[in-house]
Amino acid sequence: MENVTRVIQLIPLNYYILLSTLLFCIGVIGVLFRRNAIVIFMCIELMLNAVNLLLAAFSSYRSDASGQVFVFFIMAVAAAEVAVGLAILTMIYRNTGSVDIDHLNKLKW
Amino acid sequence: MTTLIVLSALGLVCLFSEILGFRKLLHPIVLIGLLASFVTNLMDWNNGAHLFNEMVVIDNYSVAFMGLMIGITFIWCLMSPDFFTEPSSETDHFALIVFALIGTMVMVTFANMIMLFLGIEILSIALYILAGSHKTKLSSNEAALKYFLMGSFATGFLLFGIALIYGATGSFNLAAISSMISEHHEQNSVMIVAGILMMMIALAFKVSAAPFHFWAPDVYQGAPTVITAFMSTVVKTAAFAAFYRLFIHTFSASPAIWAPTLMIISGLTILVGNITAVYQTNFKRMLAYSSISHAGYMVLAILAMNQSASSSLMFYATAYSISSITAFAILLLVSHQTGSDEIRSFNGLAKQNPFLSAVTLVAMLSLAGIPPTAGFFAKYYIFSAAIQNGYLGLVLIAILGSLIGVFYYFRIIIALFKSESEEKEIKVNTLFRVLLLVTSLAALALGIAPGMLAGLI
Amino acid sequence: MTQLAWLIPVFPLVGFLVISLGNKILPKQFSGVFASLTVLASFILSLAIFLQSPETGETVFVFDWIKSGGLSIPVSFLIDHISLTMLLIVTGVGFLIHVYSIGYMKEDEGYSRFFSYLNLFVFFMLLLVMGSNYIVMFAGWEGVGLCSYLLIGFWFKNTEYNNAANKAFIMNRIGDLGFLLGIILIYVTFGSVSFDDVFSAAKTLPDNQPVITAITLLLFVGAMGKSAQIPLYTWLPDAMAGPTPVSALIHAATMVTAGIYMVVRSNILYSISPFTLEVVSIIGMATALFAATIAMVQTDIKKVLAYSTVSQLGYMFVALGVGAYSTALFHVTTHAFFKALLFLAAGSVIHAMSGEQDVRKMGGLRKKLPITFAVFAIGTMAISGVPPFAGFFSKDEILARAWTQSPVLFFFLAVTSVLTAIYMFRVFFLTFYGTFRGTHDQEHHLHESPPSMTIPLVVLAILSTVGGFLGLPTVFSEHHFFGDFLKSSLSTPGTMLQSEASHTFEWTLIGVSIITLAGIIFWAFNHFVKKHRIPAIQETEFKPVAKLLYNKYYIDEIYQSTFVKPLYSISNFFWKIVDNSIVDGLVNGVSKSVVWAGQTIRLVQTGNVGFYIFAMVFGIIAMLLYNLVF
Repeated sequence: MENVTRVIQLIPLNYYILLSTLLFCIGVIGVLFRRNAIVIFMCIELMLNAVNLLLAAFSSYRSDASGQVFVFFIMAVAAAEVAVGLAILTMIYRNTGSVDIDHLNKLKW
Repeated sequence: MTTLIVLSALGLVCLFSEILGFRKLLHPIVLIGLLASFVTNLMDWNNGAHLFNEMVVIDNYSVAFMGLMIGITFIWCLMSPDFFTEPSSETDHFALIVFALIGTMVMVTFANMIMLFLGIEILSIALYILAGSHKTKLSSNEAALKYFLMGSFATGFLLFGIALIYGATGSFNLAAISSMISEHHEQNSVMIVAGILMMMIALAFKVSAAPFHFWAPDVYQGAPTVITAFMSTVVKTAAFAAFYRLFIHTFSASPAIWAPTLMIISGLTILVGNITAVYQTNFKRMLAYSSISHAGYMVLAILAMNQSASSSLMFYATAYSISSITAFAILLLVSHQTGSDEIRSFNGLAKQNPFLSAVTLVAMLSLAGIPPTAGFFAKYYIFSAAIQNGYLGLVLIAILGSLIGVFYYFRIIIALFKSESEEKEIKVNTLFRVLLLVTSLAALALGIAPGMLAGLI
Repeated sequence: MTQLAWLIPVFPLVGFLVISLGNKILPKQFSGVFASLTVLASFILSLAIFLQSPETGETVFVFDWIKSGGLSIPVSFLIDHISLTMLLIVTGVGFLIHVYSIGYMKEDEGYSRFFSYLNLFVFFMLLLVMGSNYIVMFAGWEGVGLCSYLLIGFWFKNTEYNNAANKAFIMNRIGDLGFLLGIILIYVTFGSVSFDDVFSAAKTLPDNQPVITAITLLLFVGAMGKSAQIPLYTWLPDAMAGPTPVSALIHAATMVTAGIYMVVRSNILYSISPFTLEVVSIIGMATALFAATIAMVQTDIKKVLAYSTVSQLGYMFVALGVGAYSTALFHVTTHAFFKALLFLAAGSVIHAMSGEQDVRKMGGLRKKLPITFAVFAIGTMAISGVPPFAGFFSKDEILARAWTQSPVLFFFLAVTSVLTAIYMFRVFFLTFYGTFRGTHDQEHHLHESPPSMTIPLVVLAILSTVGGFLGLPTVFSEHHFFGDFLKSSLSTPGTMLQSEASHTFEWTLIGVSIITLAGIIFWAFNHFVKKHRIPAIQETEFKPVAKLLYNKYYIDEIYQSTFVKPLYSISNFFWKIVDNSIVDGLVNGVSKSVVWAGQTIRLVQTGNVGFYIFAMVFGIIAMLLYNLVF
């Protein structure tokens, strides 16, 4: 455990921040520009994992376990969220035969 | 604490009832459970506690909001028996509502970012499913997908904000973060500023403040009406209680970072919500926009940040929830019996059913903020709290917004008194009659003697 | 006794609750009688308090309404001579109109609903005049607005009526906004909204404080909306869409005088703000003249009365503007008597004519409707200022007070008063003299109204006859009852000239007005009765000579072409262009632009999640940029 912490700290903290911000932005851009709902889910997951990475990095730099505990919570919640999300998608696919979000615009104005 | 345990047990009972076969008894059991949790909640009044290593703090603020939300849920459960009669998903619906309620409880008692996140997610995940609970109806599907996509997207920002604040302060505990921020007042790093803003954005999304409000009208319209009622009352109250608790307990030392932005959000929300509502012909969608505009007013309480702000937020949430639940109960009756939730199905209601139109009148007056109803004092308290903190300009915008608001609420009232009417007579059963009478009287009582609730917290 | 004052508004409230809740159970006839009795009870109680006549104002505390932090607003009533006067008017005239409505609304299907609204209105009106702070007053103010709205749209069969209700509503909102802002400013300035605190603080202030000017102007905007002054007056003529007793009660006798009452109540604030007083008198004068010119060409009997109400309200504002607060209230009182009388008598005519309101279709009704004829004649003489009827004294007093202030004001008011006499006698002669011009059916149907309608008319006629003696001018009597009664409740304006007009002037005024009036009556009788000049003919052709006026031949001719014609065209112009296009257009424009904005902004809600997320991200980026970069 000590070892892992040391290895993580080999890389400067700013790099972690940059990397996870970048990952997060990729996720956001994916959500923005993809039209397939499943791909959008994946992009959201990417955003969440960017956060996980960031939390893990902070946690080891500060030698504080609570950040990693939070990561577990996020993983658990993300799993639940995906389960619900995929169920909703299945339901929609059954009714419309498509998961393209552009086709779902009956509710407007 | 006991309240949370009672409710969790109730949720589990709901799930088990399917297996153990006492499904028929579930409705009374849930109602009794809600009453029990209401009572245990009241026992915490002036008897706060810090629990689980400062993860949860129960104080009068949380007790008041929990009481309000349990109460509204109780009324809600009474008015939506139809929703629970579908045999295949009856127990699930009960369980989901109870779990959503647990989420709201966590959202008003949190003292740690982890609990805030968990509370929001417990609530949201349950709601994603509930919004889509008309499985075969396309509008319900669409609402669920929109809500889910945008909700989880906003969660990403919430988490990123939490992570940044954690990086800057090294803690998830609200008190610790607050003292860290105020101690290093001058050197607020980019991480803190970005972190606070991202959390604010996520919460603004949850309360449906502009420009993060786009999901609300579509989801409110598409979701089953009972769920919309739940969302626009209990959920909105919970989101605001959490928003307020977070910003007052944690970020109040550095309003320079977030107050200007929140001001713009508030003004924009009030204007967009009210102006867009003017043109709506669908009652449900109009209520959705009106709930957006009410979010704008409630943001004022967060900006006010003073002694009277929390009690004024509480009063507003109560007045708004009571009037809203009345409006939705009326909509349930009308849309169920005329088959349409357009405003024109209210035409000529005054002649057909004076009782129903009288309670509609009270609800609309209260939403519009016209005395002697609760809505007037709700607005009054919030506005005066905001003026005390120097937001006179914003309050003027808010008053302008509420004048526009009067316009569309009165469209309903005018429709009531129109002569050309729907053929179908609308019947009100005894349960609804009692419910509507109770909520309307409550709205009037709060409007005549607001002192009952005003200085509470 | 005064401590029982809280019961006064409670009676009509009880009436409202009983009638509206018991709508289905109670017999139809019951609601009218019960509603009238509740108002009668209030009247008797007010009268008892009045007779006991408390010397100074007394505050009756009812309950604490708002108590938060430094602000405490109790619901409490201020009983002083100003509010007592208004109480007697509201409950007294209100009671007569209730009784009248029992007969007038007999066949209406919304009978009980009508009475419940009326009672609710009386309740709010009493709240308005009795409140001891601006908030209670505002609550009543909003309440009467709501009732007015409900009653104008009472016959909601017809979209025009609904439009009228909407217009009244929007106009009043604009005024209310001003009032509300004024109250907020009062609170910010004085730290309280109770009359006692505000006025005792204001007494020590010097004149011409900018903040006081702002407060009084904002309050006056409120008064303009409620009391139908330029430019917020157009709703009142349209409000005639409601049942006639409503026009009498709300849109002539009580609610529209709320603006006057509010200014009188705040007289201390107004007295230290000469600029506002100037504005008030100019607007009042302009409204008085403007509305009177419009009334000249109207052919709808209720429209004429409506414009004349606007004009008379203008008179009252001029009185306020010259600091003659008690005179304004005096005119409020006499006006309540004779305008209620005129409206109710007009209602009786309309009732007899089976709903016809056009004077061109009437004529010769004096034989069929003798009582209505008699009381209408008294009302007409009262409003025209024929001595010794009520209007003469109050109007005379306003004229005299205007003279001491400024001859210009006096001149325009005098012109207005000439016009008033002309159009009132025009309507009077067209309606009751000559030959019947309606359809055969209508003629067959003509009948005098039932006693429940004629008795209130007679009572009001008596009041209109003797009401003026409450305030005899100083030439007749040293004792001005009305002025003395109110003196204790009014401030003495600091910079105002308190000089009374000289006796010679008053005598001259009385003499000139009698001669002018005699001339007008003679001319009108000749013109409309003898020559059968009914307005429809008048616009296309006019005959040059009339036999009885042969020696005034040229004067008549010159008068017609140089004065009447241009006047008619000017008033037509005002009515058609200014009134209908500009003022209406402005008001409708505001509401239209809101609707337009709603229509446009909602298109942003495209229904496409991709776009929503895009908008959200755009907002996030804008916020982050704003806070991190700039």
